[in-house]
Amino acid sequence: MRSDFSCLFAGEAGYGVMSAGSTVAKAAGRNNLWAFVVNEYPSLIKGGLNTCLVRLAAAPLPAHEEMIDCLAVLSQDGMEQNYGRVQPGGLLIADASLAVDSSRLARGVRVYQLPLLQKGSGDVAKIMSNSAMLGAFCALSGFPADLIEAVLASEFKPEVFEKNRLLLRATYELAAQQTAAAVFPLPFSEPPARRMLINGNDAIAMGALQGGCKFAAGYPMTPGSSVLTYLADYGPAFGLVFKQAEDEIAAINMLIGAGFAGARAIGATSGGGFSLMVEALGFAALAEVPLVMVNAQRGGPSTGQPTRTAQADLAFILNASQGEFLRIVVAPGDIEECFFETFRAFNLAEKYQLPVIILTDKYLADSAATHPFFKTEGLAIERGKLADPDWLAAHQPYKRYEFTADGVSARALPGTGGGRHIATSYTHGEDGFYSSGNREYAGSEPEVTVKALDKLFDKEPHILAELEAVRLYGPETAELTLVVWGSTKGAALAGMELATAAGLSVNVLQVVYLSPFPAAAVAAILGRSRQTLLVEGNKTAQLGGLVRMHTGIHLANRYLKYDSRAFTPSQILLKIKEVLA
Amino acid sequence: MSAYDANLDYVPTWCPGCGNFGIINSLKKAFAVLELDLEQTVLVNGIGCSSKIGQYINCYRIETLHGRTLPVATGVKLANHGLTVIAEGGDGDGMGLGMGHFVHTARRNLDISYFIHNNQVYGLTKGQTSPTSEPGMFTKFTPPPLGNVERPVNIVDMAISLGASFVARAYTGNMNQLTDMMAQAIRHRGFAVVDILQPCVSFNAVNTYAWYQQRVRTIGGDHDPSDRERAKALAGIWGDEIPVGVFWREERPTFADSLPQLKGGPLTAQPLAGADISSLMEELA
Repeated sequence: MRSDFSCLFAGEAGYGVMSAGSTVAKAAGRNNLWAFVVNEYPSLIKGGLNTCLVRLAAAPLPAHEEMIDCLAVLSQDGMEQNYGRVQPGGLLIADASLAVDSSRLARGVRVYQLPLLQKGSGDVAKIMSNSAMLGAFCALSGFPADLIEAVLASEFKPEVFEKNRLLLRATYELAAQQTAAAVFPLPFSEPPARRMLINGNDAIAMGALQGGCKFAAGYPMTPGSSVLTYLADYGPAFGLVFKQAEDEIAAINMLIGAGFAGARAIGATSGGGFSLMVEALGFAALAEVPLVMVNAQRGGPSTGQPTRTAQADLAFILNASQGEFLRIVVAPGDIEECFFETFRAFNLAEKYQLPVIILTDKYLADSAATHPFFKTEGLAIERGKLADPDWLAAHQPYKRYEFTADGVSARALPGTGGGRHIATSYTHGEDGFYSSGNREYAGSEPEVTVKALDKLFDKEPHILAELEAVRLYGPETAELTLVVWGSTKGAALAGMELATAAGLSVNVLQVVYLSPFPAAAVAAILGRSRQTLLVEGNKTAQLGGLVRMHTGIHLANRYLKYDSRAFTPSQILLKIKEVLA
Repeated sequence: MSAYDANLDYVPTWCPGCGNFGIINSLKKAFAVLELDLEQTVLVNGIGCSSKIGQYINCYRIETLHGRTLPVATGVKLANHGLTVIAEGGDGDGMGLGMGHFVHTARRNLDISYFIHNNQVYGLTKGQTSPTSEPGMFTKFTPPPLGNVERPVNIVDMAISLGASFVARAYTGNMNQLTDMMAQAIRHRGFAVVDILQPCVSFNAVNTYAWYQQRVRTIGGDHDPSDRERAKALAGIWGDEIPVGVFWREERPTFADSLPQLKGGPLTAQPLAGADISSLMEELA
């Protein structure tokens, strides 16, 4: 019996292929299977090909695969672009109007053409087409239609549901007449615990709410926007205010204002928007205002590829803004890390009074996976050195930027008695005053400048000591160590499993925190590696450069992918075999 | 010396005769008139000579980036709407880089007072044209023979049009009136703009004290600041006569008033721990 099953739903934008996919994924997740869902769509509102790939398995899935068992397609484009992905012996379900060129299909692919596209006008016809496609999918693959219906029933109004149910059933019957009983390869049962179908951006937004975030601001930019959409939608019930700003510059400055005033604040954007925010990033750092920013990478440079994935902003994010300052950059690799690292980001931003950037990408932001409910017990809010009136009374005159051993000085929030101070974007001394703009400081400017900059970096060893910045998966030592960051984690882990099953010895080093760079931890693991393979989604081996700069270790074997699509486990397995050959 | 007078330990670096001395003294007087709680007051400033005012005032202050005063002030106000928030900056800071923010902040009508130190020239970068420079003015970036060929921004007219709910103009040569305008602006609930005419003794040879002295006229007591048409007409006057005083005032809900999340108090007073996200997870189940 097969251990997984993939179906690609494809059709013109607006026909709900993505909701078809998520319906199947939810139905699977509610019945003890695990789904991984990848949406692909061009940057168009109407028209253009949308696809939704649903991969199902009896165990949690860390990534998708290119090859599919079933293609359910509503448009000719969807057919043309995906013929080659259907596995031998697979299934093609197409609307009756489409021209199918069987010669382009693998051996043994069974083709079924049915009336799926519904006549009529507007959105109703589109939603209905979707239901017809799901009916055919169930009949031909053997996925139980009643599980699909249960999901639809919970999402549609009763009258809309009933119309769709009838069409789903009718198409199911029609399709069932054309085939012997199809058997879905995976077992359904009652799941032991509640599960959800969640994407990376939703997990980040939930992590923010769990972390006490009360303010968000931003300007829409794919694929970062959906964090903001989520917070605009669900945030108010948690006391959060979302402000749509006139531009990204305004957005980040609003976040800095809110952070200075004492509210936990988050922004989300993509590389282009982040580019506009860069001057203010340095402001937050120098003024030591806590700030949490999400950069969901898409293809670049410039406007690049709005709806496609890439891991090419790493070097930019690490160096963004003039001058030198410490920032924390965390790249979650999966849903779990999106949630927990975002929660942690707020603690880190306040404890160390600096910007924390959550670096994700379109693949992680937008792909959904079945995931158990997050376990939130034991998550503690840590605000660091906050000056209260008693502390301030005992520490007059109050110095906002007092030089301390750990670089962190007590932060007085506006409204707190005895804490009046100036927070500034100028290089400043302990009291916040401009190092050279005031005669009183002019004579000691070089000394003040050095101390002020040292203060920012004095935080580094404490951060490195606190963070679990790298994670090693698989055996402690192996013939080959894959070196990855961000969303590549999933495909690398699955690739490692495929390799292990093939008798190869592979482990995976994930660098979770890229700044401050965990040089010692990385060097220790790479020091034990017999061979390495760097796997990242850019052209210039940005993590590779970082590793070499900080450890002197050159990662010579590289699998760099910058074709706008994410890595898959099979692709990584091929590279592993190449290196170990 | 009261808390309102405290200059901290620093001597202002403005040029002798700079209009900013009049502005800072008027601001301190306005604080005293209003008996403001300085611990509950945040002054947000940008970058430039004007913006140095934050370095010499004894309340909570955040000295931001060039042109970014208003978004920072917006963040402060939304995070803690119990604070008195004052934004200050120059014509370069606010009408150049900051123009987009000015437009949108006015639309939003947050309860922020915005004092624009308008000397019609860039001071700290040593004498370039500003968005409020007069046509024909010679500056380092607009040298003779042409001089400045662009039309100046009319701050008062624009503020009224964009939705600021209190709009006034004052002149640093009349500190009592300036103090009064500032106090009224701070007291006003909504976005309050004061265009402060301020000679730059180093770089603006046109709009001098003598030049203003001959032109500045206080708006007559018969003007009703709720008369929008008349306010706009007054705003259009600039030349031999320059009206100063309150042009426009309206009471309308602030942006913060529209947010149910703020009804229970400032965001900064909300508990951070213990958010129960189980309903959010159920939604995706």
